[in-house]
Amino acid sequence: MRTWYTNLDFLSIFLWCSLVIFGLAAIYSTTNGSASEFLLETVRDNYNRQLLWFGVSGLGLIIALLLPVRVYQHAAFPVYILTIALLVIALIFGREINGARSWIMIGSMQFQVSELAKVGTVLGVAHLVGLHRPKSMGIQFALLVVGMILLPAVLIVLQNDMGTALVFLGLIPIALFWSGLELNLLIILIAPAIAGYLAIVYEPAAWIFAVGLTVFMYFRTRDPKFTFVTGLFSVGTVLVATVALTQILQPHQVARILSFTDPGSEQFRLNEGFQQVQSMAAIGSGGWAGKGFMQGTQTQGVFVSEQSTDFVFSVIGEEFGFLGSILVLVLFLTLLLRLMQLGSRTKHPFGLMVAAGTVGIYLIHIFINIGMATAILPVIGIPLPFLSYGGSALLANTALLAIVISLHMRRDDFSIYGY
Amino acid sequence: MEEYRTRKRLFVFLICAILGVLVLRLFQLQVIDTLAYSGESRNNAVRERRILPARGSIFDRNGTLLVDNEPAYSLLVTPLYFNPETIPLLAELLALPDSVISQGVQKARKWNSFRTSLLVRGISFDVLSRILENYSRLPGISYEVDQKRLYRTRVRASHVLGYVRQISDTDLKSRRNEGYQPGDLIGQSGLERSYEKTVRGKLGSELNLVNRYGQIIEPFLGGSEDVASESGLNLHLTIDRDMQVLAESLFVNKRGAAVALDVNTGEILAMVSAPDYDLDMFSKPLKPETWEYLTKSAEKPIFNRATSSLLPPGSTFKPFIAMMALEEGVIKPATTIFCPGYHPRGGPTTFRCLHAHGDIAVVEAITKSCNSFFFEMMYRIDVNTFSRYAHAFGFGHEATLDIGEQGKGLIPDSAYYNRVYPDGWNVGTPMSLGVGQGDMGVTPLQLARYIAAIANGGTLVSPHLVQYTEDPLTGEIEYVVPEPVSKIDISPRYYEVVRRGLRGVMTETSPWLEIPGLPTAGKTGTAQNSRGEDDSVFVMYAPLDDPQIAIAVMVENIGFGSMSAGPIASFMAEKYLTGRISPKRNWLFQQVLEDESEPLPKSLAAIGH
Repeated sequence: MRTWYTNLDFLSIFLWCSLVIFGLAAIYSTTNGSASEFLLETVRDNYNRQLLWFGVSGLGLIIALLLPVRVYQHAAFPVYILTIALLVIALIFGREINGARSWIMIGSMQFQVSELAKVGTVLGVAHLVGLHRPKSMGIQFALLVVGMILLPAVLIVLQNDMGTALVFLGLIPIALFWSGLELNLLIILIAPAIAGYLAIVYEPAAWIFAVGLTVFMYFRTRDPKFTFVTGLFSVGTVLVATVALTQILQPHQVARILSFTDPGSEQFRLNEGFQQVQSMAAIGSGGWAGKGFMQGTQTQGVFVSEQSTDFVFSVIGEEFGFLGSILVLVLFLTLLLRLMQLGSRTKHPFGLMVAAGTVGIYLIHIFINIGMATAILPVIGIPLPFLSYGGSALLANTALLAIVISLHMRRDDFSIYGY
Repeated sequence: MEEYRTRKRLFVFLICAILGVLVLRLFQLQVIDTLAYSGESRNNAVRERRILPARGSIFDRNGTLLVDNEPAYSLLVTPLYFNPETIPLLAELLALPDSVISQGVQKARKWNSFRTSLLVRGISFDVLSRILENYSRLPGISYEVDQKRLYRTRVRASHVLGYVRQISDTDLKSRRNEGYQPGDLIGQSGLERSYEKTVRGKLGSELNLVNRYGQIIEPFLGGSEDVASESGLNLHLTIDRDMQVLAESLFVNKRGAAVALDVNTGEILAMVSAPDYDLDMFSKPLKPETWEYLTKSAEKPIFNRATSSLLPPGSTFKPFIAMMALEEGVIKPATTIFCPGYHPRGGPTTFRCLHAHGDIAVVEAITKSCNSFFFEMMYRIDVNTFSRYAHAFGFGHEATLDIGEQGKGLIPDSAYYNRVYPDGWNVGTPMSLGVGQGDMGVTPLQLARYIAAIANGGTLVSPHLVQYTEDPLTGEIEYVVPEPVSKIDISPRYYEVVRRGLRGVMTETSPWLEIPGLPTAGKTGTAQNSRGEDDSVFVMYAPLDDPQIAIAVMVENIGFGSMSAGPIASFMAEKYLTGRISPKRNWLFQQVLEDESEPLPKSLAAIGH
């Protein structure tokens, strides 16, 4: 019998460590630089706390590696239900931080339940797909998957944490994609997101996209029903977005949505656009090689608020430049592709779906977070996996990673081969 | 399986595409547009702060420090980052009304929202400490260590030194490119104003990294781009501190002025204008009533009487008339005029003399101050000749002087009379000029210069207050070259004649004005005026044989020249030449101290007292 660790994927663990250390460096720069004396007492400890969470996450990783495959499969639904229960508890008894009632206290530790919910949801959906995969292509099954994801998403919306809820919504097409939903249906599902984005950025482009997609679907399927639904979803979204922006939403809401399209303009620069103006100034001024560790003027001057959490990428962009930013992205890319590979090597729908869900969640976070820091997306407060300050997120993201590695390591233990 | 591979490829493509979009965006920000963002980031984080140079110090002629600076704290505001909601907190900490703060912020915003401007000047260290305790709650607020003038001695010399005050809006407009900003201090009068460029020094600048609240984190690039300020040059004055202090104390409760000149160089040894004011008032916020009193009351302390008043010189003008008459040849030194107690023209009541002097020649006429004699001189000399001589002696035009506040005085000529008396005037009109009355006015500075010319034999010196400037760092000295002097074209022997008359004043007429053991020469004057009691005037030089100092003193509305202006001048000269006041004349000293100018109408004088 081969020793257990021969199948352990050291590459992903190495990538995980690299990313967390990158994040620690950025957090260290924000809390121990020349400007630290002006920071609040609570912020100054960020680095030490994150270091502690790094240790806790490492411990979690080891524990996850020790658990057999069956445990994950059997625990998937209970964990999902526990997750939902915790979300409800947080909603009722939770503690409000930054406007979101998504925190519960365990002793003196705060924990953000919505982060944990990602793990529960990925496990739950993966198990569902694992159970049904061979015969599951229909719309009813798809609706079940959607419902499973929507439930925590709605609870998180009720907690007033739109950013995290958006991650769950983004998870829907990815889950459907991997559970074998017809691609045409998938296109119809994704179309509103793209149409809505274009409607905000540049309305004519949205119209061209909506009409173009409808025509494309007609020639692809020659099916009037499909074409109609495509048109309804895409054109409808553009219409709704336009009406919402001009008629329904309050000016300050519109400003929040629109500000990212030109944050530096007179009207946004000092309020809604401030963070993105400062973030872009930080990243852009980094140039090729950056200003150097703990040398960033934007970082040291705390011009970007939330620079150790949601805007941690501005620190990397400023102090490590284009090369440092690309290095982070390459680490991410390698990790994502590697995780996909690990998932498909399990040759079991459960393993694959856990990996796909994990990769999907990471991808959404990376895109939204860096997209927001560079102002191609509006400000949506979600962290950058492994890099942003925040224990719950680090632990939850590490847990997802650990499960993928663990399932891959013990892939021979899966009882039934999917395909 | 096949379908699964397609989906996997699609998904990998999606990952690459999304990360690719981010790479492109980063390339755009960090490589293509990096210069623009670098500029933005630098504008954000690098604040230029002016380093105000130390204003030059001022010393008296013997190197005694009169004025230098002491640190003062100023509160600054950067309107862009200032939160208006903090106004009540700030107002409470500063113990000022909210409106003062909001107006200050408003003004700063109007100037430049991005720049840091002065909000409140001259706050104490205690108040500053309280503000620093709340620093994190006051975004956009910062402070700087500024300088304020510190007056080191009992010398007030208000009108010589001048006051330093916040730059006015009009000055700001015209001097913007000299680096002045709202709230900057600038010399507003006296030497502080005329030597502003010299004493101000060169502005320096300091680049600092700041955080988003404008708080300074550390020097930018380790301070390598900073420019050090250069402190202003020190001024070494011609003023003699001891004599100045003495003169100022003798002028308490009086209105008037005194000027003491070095007879040979024109250096101003003392210059007093009373009432004066405490320059230190300007180092603190000035109350509007005080400013009103300084500038608008009848006493008008801000007015420099020594250089700007327009007063009839009275009998102190007689030596000049004598010089002119001798040079013009209308009399010889021995020529006598008969004084029946008045000048015959116009009868006994028009041109009166104090005594019936009988036959009197020029020396005695000066000594005894015979009006009839000098009425007769102006009866014989036409007014245009008078005007020419008066100008030669420095009257009727401004003296070269290194402070700006100065009057011309008034010397009439025929054109002037034609203008003022359109119904006609006659030969009697200029006769009052002979006794320093009528349509004329001089400044104490002009009187001092004129008496110095008589003492030094006809050299009209250029009065000045600054001997040399000194670089406080290198010690490099640059002498101020006074305007060239001019020579009065009068035969030297006539000076001797007039000096004999002046000497007689001290020996015969007013012996109490003689400095014990030190012969001097002088002339009293009592000038009528429209304000009330006569003005007392006195001019003198000393010592008699080797004149060093020439003094002119004028005291408004106090009576005879020999009793108030005379003693002041005499004590000043004694202090300067002997370094002390002899106890022999204690009684006179006490009397001068107690003398008071007749108060001006109360309604005007009372403002601000």
